[in-house]
Amino acid sequence: MSYTIDSKAVSQEPRPGQCLRTFIRDAGVFGVKKGCDQGDCGACTVWLDGVPVHSCLMPAHRAKDKQVTTVQGLEHDGHLHPVQQAFCDAQAFQCGFCAAGMIMTVAALDEEQRADLPRNLKGNLCRCTGYRAIEDAVHGIRSTDDDIAGAACGASLPNPFTQGIVTGHARYTMDVAVENLLHLKVLRSPHAHARIVSIDQSKARAIPGVVEVFTWEDVPRKLFSSATHEDHLVDPDDMYVLDNVARFVGQRVAAVVAETEAAAEAGCRALQVEYEILPAVFDPVEAMQDGAPILHSKGNEAKGNIFVTIKGEVGNVESGFAEAAVVHEKTYSTSRVQHAHLETHGSIAWRGEDGRLHVRTSTQAPFIAHQKLCYLFGIFPHDLHVFTERVGGGFGGKQEMVSEDLCLMATMKLGRPVKWEFTREEQFIGATTRHQMTTKVKLGAKADGTLTALEVHVVSNTGAYGGHGSETLAASLGSPLSAYRCKNKKADGHAVYTNMIPGGGFRGYGASQSTFAIECAMDDLAEKLGMDGFAIRRKNMIGPDDVIESVWSDPSDVSFGSYGLDECLDLVEAALANGEGLPAPEGNWAEGTGIALSVLESGPPTEHRSGGEMRLLPDGSYHLAVGSTEMGNGSINSHRQIAASILGTRGNNVDIINADTDLTPYDTGTFASTGTVVAGQAVALTAKALHDNIVSYAARITDTPVEDWSLVDDAVMNGNRRIELTELYKIGTEAGHRFDAKRKAYLSPRTIAFNVQGVRLAVHRVTGEVRVLHSVHAADIGRPINPMQCRGQLEGAVAMGYGWALTEHMVYDDHGKMLNPALRNYHIPAFADTPRTKIMFADTHDTIGPLGAKAQGECAINAVAPAVSNALANATGVRFAHLPFSPDRIFDQLSVTA
Amino acid sequence: MNPFEYTRAASRHEAATMAAGGATVIAGGTNLLDLMKLEVMTPERLVDISRLDMDDIETTADGGLRIGAMVRNSDLAAHEIVRSTYPVLSRALLAGASGQLRNKASTGGNLLQRTRCYYFYDTAMPCNKREPGSGCQAIGGATRLHAIFGASDHCIATHPSDMAVALQALDAKVEIENATGDIRTVELESFYRLPGNTPHIETELKPGDLITAVIIPPAKGSRQTYRKVRDRASYAFALVSVAGVIEMSDGKIAHASLAFGGVAHKPWRNAEIEQMLLGEAPSQDLFRRVADTLLRNAEAQGDNAFKIKLLHRTLCAVLTELTEG
Ligand SMILES: Cc1cc2nc3c(=O)[nH]c(=O)nc-3n(C[C@H](O)[C@H](O)[C@H](O)COP(=O)(O)OP(=O)(O)OC[C@H]3O[C@@H](n4cnc5c(N)ncnc54)[C@H](O)[C@@H]3O)c2cc1C
Ligand code: SF4
Ligand code: FES
Ligand code: FES
Repeated sequence: MSYTIDSKAVSQEPRPGQCLRTFIRDAGVFGVKKGCDQGDCGACTVWLDGVPVHSCLMPAHRAKDKQVTTVQGLEHDGHLHPVQQAFCDAQAFQCGFCAAGMIMTVAALDEEQRADLPRNLKGNLCRCTGYRAIEDAVHGIRSTDDDIAGAACGASLPNPFTQGIVTGHARYTMDVAVENLLHLKVLRSPHAHARIVSIDQSKARAIPGVVEVFTWEDVPRKLFSSATHEDHLVDPDDMYVLDNVARFVGQRVAAVVAETEAAAEAGCRALQVEYEILPAVFDPVEAMQDGAPILHSKGNEAKGNIFVTIKGEVGNVESGFAEAAVVHEKTYSTSRVQHAHLETHGSIAWRGEDGRLHVRTSTQAPFIAHQKLCYLFGIFPHDLHVFTERVGGGFGGKQEMVSEDLCLMATMKLGRPVKWEFTREEQFIGATTRHQMTTKVKLGAKADGTLTALEVHVVSNTGAYGGHGSETLAASLGSPLSAYRCKNKKADGHAVYTNMIPGGGFRGYGASQSTFAIECAMDDLAEKLGMDGFAIRRKNMIGPDDVIESVWSDPSDVSFGSYGLDECLDLVEAALANGEGLPAPEGNWAEGTGIALSVLESGPPTEHRSGGEMRLLPDGSYHLAVGSTEMGNGSINSHRQIAASILGTRGNNVDIINADTDLTPYDTGTFASTGTVVAGQAVALTAKALHDNIVSYAARITDTPVEDWSLVDDAVMNGNRRIELTELYKIGTEAGHRFDAKRKAYLSPRTIAFNVQGVRLAVHRVTGEVRVLHSVHAADIGRPINPMQCRGQLEGAVAMGYGWALTEHMVYDDHGKMLNPALRNYHIPAFADTPRTKIMFADTHDTIGPLGAKAQGECAINAVAPAVSNALANATGVRFAHLPFSPDRIFDQLSVTA
Repeated sequence: MNPFEYTRAASRHEAATMAAGGATVIAGGTNLLDLMKLEVMTPERLVDISRLDMDDIETTADGGLRIGAMVRNSDLAAHEIVRSTYPVLSRALLAGASGQLRNKASTGGNLLQRTRCYYFYDTAMPCNKREPGSGCQAIGGATRLHAIFGASDHCIATHPSDMAVALQALDAKVEIENATGDIRTVELESFYRLPGNTPHIETELKPGDLITAVIIPPAKGSRQTYRKVRDRASYAFALVSVAGVIEMSDGKIAHASLAFGGVAHKPWRNAEIEQMLLGEAPSQDLFRRVADTLLRNAEAQGDNAFKIKLLHRTLCAVLTELTEG
């Protein structure tokens, strides 16, 4: 026996050329994750004779005669390793996908190394947390509250899957051993625009292990959209499962299914595709011009490449500008970025013993995927089951069906289970991105700062497919404009097809892009007026008595469930002034401060619905089924807390299952800030119905008034009279009563959340390096159902905002090919790049959302990039209007001397 | 990844012999395995040198340091003498990859890590370094990471190592052993080659040559720093970097060696500017002239034009820092 994993001898030998990571997983130890397979992310960290290494960059042979330790082998005598325990106590994860590797790295640090985490956590990325909670874990800080009956709501209860996450046993999408499994890989287009003339499959089929090849000729010729919404009409049906025209570099061309991943990859390479290269266009402004190559001819030829135009006006901006003492006009632009959730897209499909088809997948919207799959492949809905288990991050990227279809199709054809896991490169070139938008803002104001006119013109590059193009464009013209009170507002925008990778949903959803522009423009206007950033906002921002209005005057279902924008601004102002944060570094640095605000509706303007089902169980505990997805956003925990609180019990007394088309009621999907306000509402209604069911049954059998009864932890009580729930259950079920409930929730009206970000930073006058010295964020998210979790969501969103502002950028060449599709060259923030952000909550109670809560996970990102730009402008006198602010883009506009 | 045959060498001789016969040496594997996964390199045979006896750091007779080729980057950075006498080296190492990688990455492997040119990594693209004669997609393409010194019409890539830049400023030599057991040492300056019309040949190593050690002479200056400008604080390859070793005496510059990373196919050095500094009192004017001289022959390739100005400023800042006080 020469290979030992977690003290257990492993009998098999590595395959020639196998890396340690897959060798360990082949041995059934799934606690070793893949975030990149290239040494960048640390999700695969294991110990080799006690020394942490990236197992993906280690030949498996190297482990011979050595001890391999994974997170699954850290427990000792049935007790968690102290670092695992610390990760529980600090809840140092959200989706938890990074935790296995992070724990292995942290557990190997000595005292000196623990004191220098920025350097020693270089090798481990987390996309969710913003690292504060991880730092807390290292320092033994506990953030969780006790689980007290009736007090679940408002308590910082730990994630119900904590134990599995810190021990490596939680099962993410790919963490199952499936017998007889086939592997699918996809050949992607090297050309931005090309017609496929022919595909010669003979060499590919000759490769040992290759089982089947699929091309555009094998798929149902049905148009659909990979974007998911309740109303499928908002996303244009403009793509095929496989097409004979490639419209961006990275589009699927053909799929190869084989006995091993390596054979499937070799099969893809052996396909000989003859392309007829078509002219391509990448810039949306060029794409709108006459004579530009047209991407789609599906009935909208008259509009050329303009997929959609949205416009509106309230008042009259022309007269508004005429009235203005000062007019500011400038164009701002935001960059193309990727979600980079640590778990890449992927699915496994099989036909079960029940004869039905099953798809295990990494999605934010299993029910919509289910509908789309039924439609595409003509499956009777009952015959298909789509579900998630643990999902390793989403951020909007998984509001998209990009892997399920091919897996399912292959399974249907071949009768065997089929798996497809995206590589990190595919994640960058073959999934979706944030829409790149260029926004021209024109503002007019009186000398006292009062806005007289606000005009916005947006050009959104939706890429090769329409997908979320119209909804993100509508969002960009919506809430960011309603943030300010102004009689005359006008906006128009185009979402334009180009031969770029398609845009998709991404945390902040279109609103992020125009918020960047408007919030920068506000500061530029303030500068012209000689006002500061706080003053101009206080003068113009929307107040609780104002109409919430962008550029359309028809009635809207958005209203103030609560209003805390003023409080957020006060909190940020006070926090920035309190002298905390770091001092400016010594040397040639310029220091500056900036703020920005953002306003976001909780929920999309389209329909959105959810449902809950609850049962009392014989042991007196509860079972809750809810359709929404958990991908690290914490909704499972909030839902459990909402239910527990209404039922007067402990969070732990509610067992929860989610996102499963067989086992839970329908839910549109967890996106657009609906996890709390829609699915949470469904849970609240369901719990209330079950509560009423139980107390009224108790009242009935005791012949007492129902108002006298209440639920107290494990019992139902009337004064001193107490019936244990186990007892009641027994009596009731014997008498034929059923203790269960089911309710649905819809989204209307929609409430509105507020965020204000403050930044103090220093920029190096020589090199253009930016260091954030003090970062503060205030949010009005109503009543936090789980304060620790809300803080974590906000920290994670702010960290992502810093990535967008400073380090992340998808770089393309002139042929539309991405040049940096690896985490080493596409820089999501690591520990050292992420400033700690002080999170503050406005003290409000929402009257629309469940138990006073509203959206939390999404909106915080929007205010970050503009606050950074405003701080840079304050420090240097230069407005950096185009993201990102990397050193090479800013240093030469700085003067070396102060 | 293509399957490969794997042998753990029992002796240097065996390793060198196998390498002479076409096998590829694997040390830490952190660069090689990555390249193999992407099929940029597709060796059929690997010979593992990680358990050969090459992981000592010893002081040499003249008071320098001999660093075995298998010394891990993490151990080297933490070494007492390196930290005290060659801080430029330990800073350069710590400015590089993550702890997990440094735990595996070796001294020899670090010197030989391949360029990070985007196109080199993308087998669908022409690249003279990967496939001699196929062309260079970087020229006229995205060149943000590319060279401003010493590039050719065939390749404009940069060398990515931070460690090598520090070693260059320390006048290090590379010790090489071949299959017949001959040992020679080569100055780092001549160890690396410019791309010319053979960008696939990056060093003076011949088939079967093993790097056995790196030797650094006693430090010629006590004022040392490594300044790396990169896209973010945690880790990223250098946009530009400056390694500086300076000695002052009576307010004058008594020694100056300067090496530059991220700007050429090899760690870049310029004897003329070092000469200009010698015997001079530090002043901004002097530094500006020095930087002007250094950059006189710099040639931008489009996107990387920023490097000229950035390096100018960074050099002045480093010289100021090292000559102050
Ligand atoms: C995510 C990531 C980030 C990184 N960031 C940085 C950074 O910021 N700065 C930086 O400088 N480096 C960085 N690196 C590179 C890292 O330092 C190198 O990968 C490492 O030093 C290579 O050492 P190795 O021992 O693993 O080499 P290997 O991968 O084993 O070998 C590299 C090459 O050298 C040859 N070779 C190795 N040893 C010998 C020998 N003794 N004789 C002859 N030939 C030999 C091999 O055949 C191979 O061609 C990064 C790497 C990764 C993966
Ligand atoms: S610069 Fe060199 S490495 Fe890059 S593509 Fe050109 S030849 Fe290849
Ligand atoms: S999977 Fe190994 S470092 Fe990312
Ligand atoms: S919790 Fe770290 S990546 Fe999701």
